[in-house]
Amino acid sequence: MQKTVLVVEDEFTIAMDLQNMLETHDWRVIGPVANVQGALRLLEKELPSVALLDVNLGNELVTPVAKFLKRHDVPFALASAYEKAEQIGGNILAGAPNVGKPAVERSLLATLNRLVG
Amino acid sequence: MNMEDLYRVLRTSHVQAQGIVDTVAYPLLVLDESLCVQAASLSFFRTFKVDRYETIGQPLYELGNGQWNIPDLRILLSDVIPRATAVINYEVEHDFPNLGRRRMLVTARTLHHPDNGSHRMLLTFGDVTERCRRDSARDMLVSELRHRMKNVLAVAQSIARQTATKGRSAEQYRDDFLGRFGALIAAQDLAFADQGEGDLATLIERVFAPYTANPDAVVIEPGAAVELSPRETMALSLILHEMGTNAAKYGALSESGGQVRISWQVDDANTELHLKWTERGGPTVKAPTTTGYGTELIQSAVSYNLQGRMEQNYAATGLESEIVIPLGRTSLPG
Repeated sequence: MQKTVLVVEDEFTIAMDLQNMLETHDWRVIGPVANVQGALRLLEKELPSVALLDVNLGNELVTPVAKFLKRHDVPFALASAYEKAEQIGGNILAGAPNVGKPAVERSLLATLNRLVG
Repeated sequence: MNMEDLYRVLRTSHVQAQGIVDTVAYPLLVLDESLCVQAASLSFFRTFKVDRYETIGQPLYELGNGQWNIPDLRILLSDVIPRATAVINYEVEHDFPNLGRRRMLVTARTLHHPDNGSHRMLLTFGDVTERCRRDSARDMLVSELRHRMKNVLAVAQSIARQTATKGRSAEQYRDDFLGRFGALIAAQDLAFADQGEGDLATLIERVFAPYTANPDAVVIEPGAAVELSPRETMALSLILHEMGTNAAKYGALSESGGQVRISWQVDDANTELHLKWTERGGPTVKAPTTTGYGTELIQSAVSYNLQGRMEQNYAATGLESEIVIPLGRTSLPG
């Protein structure tokens, strides 16, 4: 079955880029979506294999999405410019791998593949 | 005068020392063995807003209604000092009734009398509250700038990857990319300028600066002052740049005598920005049948980044666009 990834990223240039990159490597992208409400709406319909989360979504933090994913045992990675994202987005983000921003394609793909096992 | 000098003087002459203590620039106390104040510098009285008579001869812990009865300081004087001759910059944080919460660096030194074996103690206090506050404000700013810088690099990287290469020469690709990169630079310039607030009129001027060779080509009508967040500034900068590029390729700016008119209004409740773009004097326009990255960029920046909407009317006289974006949403930095 095709692997699916939810992409939460509020900056559209980066979101579109991530989508292209992931689709080129045979992922099916859910989203991308720019805010918490939109992400939760997509998650109600379908749980992805893994999620890729920006931490700071402009006027809100991604934390509620991370909590939802944890409750439903969906692994997630962060794509954040913050070095210690948990200091910004709370403990729920501690331990999640951060592929960084700008993300390096190779390590981004390796991280997502590792998370889905 | 440093501690060593003072130490030497105190050993030889008490009277002389008293005068010297008064000239020391920072708050200083001389305590006897039972921690009663023998001398204090003028700076001590000024800094802690106490006078000489309520201070000299008093036990340290009873000074100023017990304001020096600080657990951390007690530990220093009872446990640390007896085992070391000097303690430098021991940090004490305390709420002083007259001063509020202060962070002090306490330096202490024991002075042993060579003849009778008694000892005294010198204590100095450096108030570093302000310095710590400034340091932490600076740390926050640096971390915020790092975050913003990485973010804008990520945007530049994404644009570089998505700018079309198919059927384009290397020179064309470079120019396309550098045009978009220039819009990012204009936005950053503005966003960093004045406490992160960018101004719409200035942004429009900067983005259309390349077109000013012909003053009639782009007419910017004066409008209401609109403050933009860094995010809004960046999105609008990219949008306006793409619209200019499209006009130069296919629209009014592709012919001499063509004109783009830009105007904007803010609704009465100050919640929505209406930005109008009107092209005249160009070739007859038709709605494009395919959408390139530029068009996608415009539409996504409006709807995805700014949560706004856009109407485009390919009128026979020229393209007419209106962008509506919500204003004043509180935003986190970056």
